[in-house]
Amino acid sequence: MQTVAVLYQDENDRKLWEAPLKGIPGLLSITVGGNLTASLEALRAIASTLRVVILSARLYPEENPELAARVRAVSSGSELLLISSSREPSPPLLPLFADNVRHLAIDGPEGDRPVTGYLPAVVSMLVDRIPWEIGSCLRAGTPIHSFPLGSSEEKESLIGALEAALSGEGEEYEMLRQKGALLADELLENALNGAPRGTDGSKLFKKGAKRTMLPQERIVFSFGFDGETLALKLTDSWGTLEPELVMEYLARNQEEGTCADDAGGRGLFIIWRFLEQFHVNIHPGQETVVGGHLQLSSRLDLETPRGFHITAHQKEMQHEYPANRKF
Amino acid sequence: MNTQPTESFDYFALEGTIDAQSESYFRDLPAKVRFGLVRFDFARAGRINSMGIALLLRCFKDIRDKKKAEIRLEGLTPMHSMLFKMTGVFLLASPVVSEAGGKEGTA
Repeated sequence: MQTVAVLYQDENDRKLWEAPLKGIPGLLSITVGGNLTASLEALRAIASTLRVVILSARLYPEENPELAARVRAVSSGSELLLISSSREPSPPLLPLFADNVRHLAIDGPEGDRPVTGYLPAVVSMLVDRIPWEIGSCLRAGTPIHSFPLGSSEEKESLIGALEAALSGEGEEYEMLRQKGALLADELLENALNGAPRGTDGSKLFKKGAKRTMLPQERIVFSFGFDGETLALKLTDSWGTLEPELVMEYLARNQEEGTCADDAGGRGLFIIWRFLEQFHVNIHPGQETVVGGHLQLSSRLDLETPRGFHITAHQKEMQHEYPANRKF
Repeated sequence: MNTQPTESFDYFALEGTIDAQSESYFRDLPAKVRFGLVRFDFARAGRINSMGIALLLRCFKDIRDKKKAEIRLEGLTPMHSMLFKMTGVFLLASPVVSEAGGKEGTA
């Protein structure tokens, strides 16, 4: 059964992605080669079983800006995943934001990324609609440390615990400690002061505010380090982050020349840029999970494009505060 | 955080974490500028989060707009440089070029 389809621009494009996509079950490869209509018809033929459509960045968004909309018209239930080579510039994010394309994977050619099997794992996650988990990128058996927050005063001690867990010597460790500390800071600030919203959507707390957890509010910071990969996760019980807003924050902050002091979402933008994989999983009104991982021996510099995976589930209940909710 | 005005430039040495708690310091800082050149020393500065970046951007803009002063940054770590590059701080302030020819704290 074909559950995944990938659209390439041409044969060269197909060859580029052969290795990174190897091992994905039920994969139908389509080389567009200038005939987009025929390619979409091939998709339509398997639309009933299709779960994920992978688009090469050589096809979309710049070459065929309307492609995402046309694919959705053929297979409305499929998740779209854009794949872009780490050796090419990052695709512009504003069209992805406009088209609500929430999955961008940067990979290949071989050797550029230390993580092998990345794309099959991402596709499997999307096919099965399984959310990202912190342990998925760590060696089996790596302990995960989880800290439920009692008040904002605990932030620095949690960051200290993370730094202590990264106790190796040398420049790589020092850089990992600094990145980890900043990521933890941003994740915790977002959960403490960005997530809590009133019934009208307004923020309940000012940035940097000192406070204790509200009744029934739950914020949990987790991390694991297997000697090479540091994975971080922040869970809040608000579920107020909107996927469209995340996309907009990333896109707007990425625009060159942005130096507005009041630019929204700078914290999320920093988290995205410092992580090697960035995951957001939202259950509206119930829970938001933000996390990802980075490597000790990362060779990725700032210019290297970064991907993201933003998953939003169906709204199951209206969030209101205060309310008698189970966590 | 230390302030040492000299005869030809203003000098501010930043220490510790720069975050929301630094707001009043950076709000009041532009009024202290007296010269056309302002040097910020980050050698003893620690973590700078997104709120700290927002405060720096606001402060630097005020200095440039209201005091018409040039801003130079020194003592930057590679981490500071990465952050400043990605958030546009370097559009308002220039990293000092070391004697070896490279910019300080080049990421």
